[in-house]
Amino acid sequence: MSINPLSSLPAPAVRPAGPAKVERFDRWWIMVAAVVILLVLLIFLKPDPYQNLFIFVRDGVWRTIYITVISFALVAVFGLIVALLRLSKHKLIRGIGTVYVEIIRGIPMLVQIIYWYFAFPAIVQELGRSFNIPAFVTFRPDGIVMAIFGLTFGYSAYMSEVYRAGIQSISKGQMEAARSLGMTYVDAMRYVILPQAVRVVLPPMGNELITLLKDTALVSAVSVADLTRRGREFSSAHFNPIETWTLVALLYLVMTLLATRLVAYLEKKARYER
Amino acid sequence: MEPIIKIKDIHKYFGHVEAIKGVSLDIMKGDVVVVIGPSGSGKSTLLRCINRLEEFDHGSIVVDGIPLDTAENINAVRTEVGMVFQQFNLFPHLSVLENVMLAQKIVRKRDHKEALKVAMELLNKVGIPEKAKAFPGQLSGGQQQRVAIARALAMNPKIMLFDEPTSALDPEMIQEVLDVMITLAREGMTMVVVSHEMGFARACANRAILMDAGQIVEEAPPDVLFSHPTHERTKAFLSKVLH
Repeated sequence: MSINPLSSLPAPAVRPAGPAKVERFDRWWIMVAAVVILLVLLIFLKPDPYQNLFIFVRDGVWRTIYITVISFALVAVFGLIVALLRLSKHKLIRGIGTVYVEIIRGIPMLVQIIYWYFAFPAIVQELGRSFNIPAFVTFRPDGIVMAIFGLTFGYSAYMSEVYRAGIQSISKGQMEAARSLGMTYVDAMRYVILPQAVRVVLPPMGNELITLLKDTALVSAVSVADLTRRGREFSSAHFNPIETWTLVALLYLVMTLLATRLVAYLEKKARYER
Repeated sequence: MEPIIKIKDIHKYFGHVEAIKGVSLDIMKGDVVVVIGPSGSGKSTLLRCINRLEEFDHGSIVVDGIPLDTAENINAVRTEVGMVFQQFNLFPHLSVLENVMLAQKIVRKRDHKEALKVAMELLNKVGIPEKAKAFPGQLSGGQQQRVAIARALAMNPKIMLFDEPTSALDPEMIQEVLDVMITLAREGMTMVVVSHEMGFARACANRAILMDAGQIVEEAPPDVLFSHPTHERTKAFLSKVLH
């Protein structure tokens, strides 16, 4: 049988035929390597202040990674839930999702984070005093917890738009075919729509991951000792803004470049895995 | 005998446009009904109402004793009614075999072994067992449509709906799909087919219906409808289709 050129289904990527193609070296790794080498050179050739600096901000790096990973995992889940709300055929449910997204998109991330850390606990305490609930009066949440909460709440709105676009890019016929076989909406989403949508949303999801990683710097405003805050502490103690912020910038750059490579790798995998 | 599909005074609006204006139709078990008509006549919409892919605004449809009202009933009806689409709508991320097995496992709750057995039998029946491991994008249109038929049959439906199954195909691939459909009809499957394939209609349909402007204009056995139409509208339409 010949292959029909008029076949109207979008031809999905096909497993490479014959012997495995020689994977071309991903040249972007050179950039990652260059930044890492620059960092290492600075730390070893000029230990004062770079080595001291590095040792000082190291825990900030881990905290930044920690906040990014946890927030992103939560965002990946809640963003999908919000997207499904916005795709609901019930007006009220759709409305709830839309109002949430519109509100979040209209408020700067920094203000949101400050709000969750300073205003929200104050509201809870006020309520506690008004209604005599001791647990509320003493409510004083951990900075990292509220930072993760704020980032998740904010980024889920952005991520929901990524998911929504991805789901809507899958042709309506796919849902119809699944439903016509007696599958429920949830099963059709899970087995038919989402596995296809994932391939579409991976690149924009990667963008969100990198933006989120950079936006974790905002949590330094609410006394979370992330990389940015540790940098500021060091800089104001030793009066060396050039060295401090150069190192901090390079450390962020290494993290974002690695995240970009990770996403690129996942994209490639998603393309061939079939 | 009770009709297996009872359509009673169906109305359907798209916005302010009334796409179906009061259609009633009884289909008996074993009927092969071919629906023809100009585009926009509501024939596809009517077909899609039978498994409630399209909601109707007025009237009632009862399929095999189950009224199409609650979500539960709709899903129950859909497991009994197979549908084949113009655009095939195979799942492109799954292999041919997985396409035919997916709903069996999820909806019919068959285990892997049983689903595999059913799938292979059906791929044999539609004549492409050798493509089981291929992906839809690697198949010709005719092959894809045959897989789509196998996928629908895997649910052991009592009724099959075909929505212009050959309209998206190259001319030389139409026959391989029609052959499968003719086999099904001869086996006694109840079928509702929206199609202008007169050859198929003459070969195995026992009823032909002409729809226009959301209504059934005329119904007769295919030979009678095609050769001796009574309505002017039918004559005008057939003169264009039959050249």
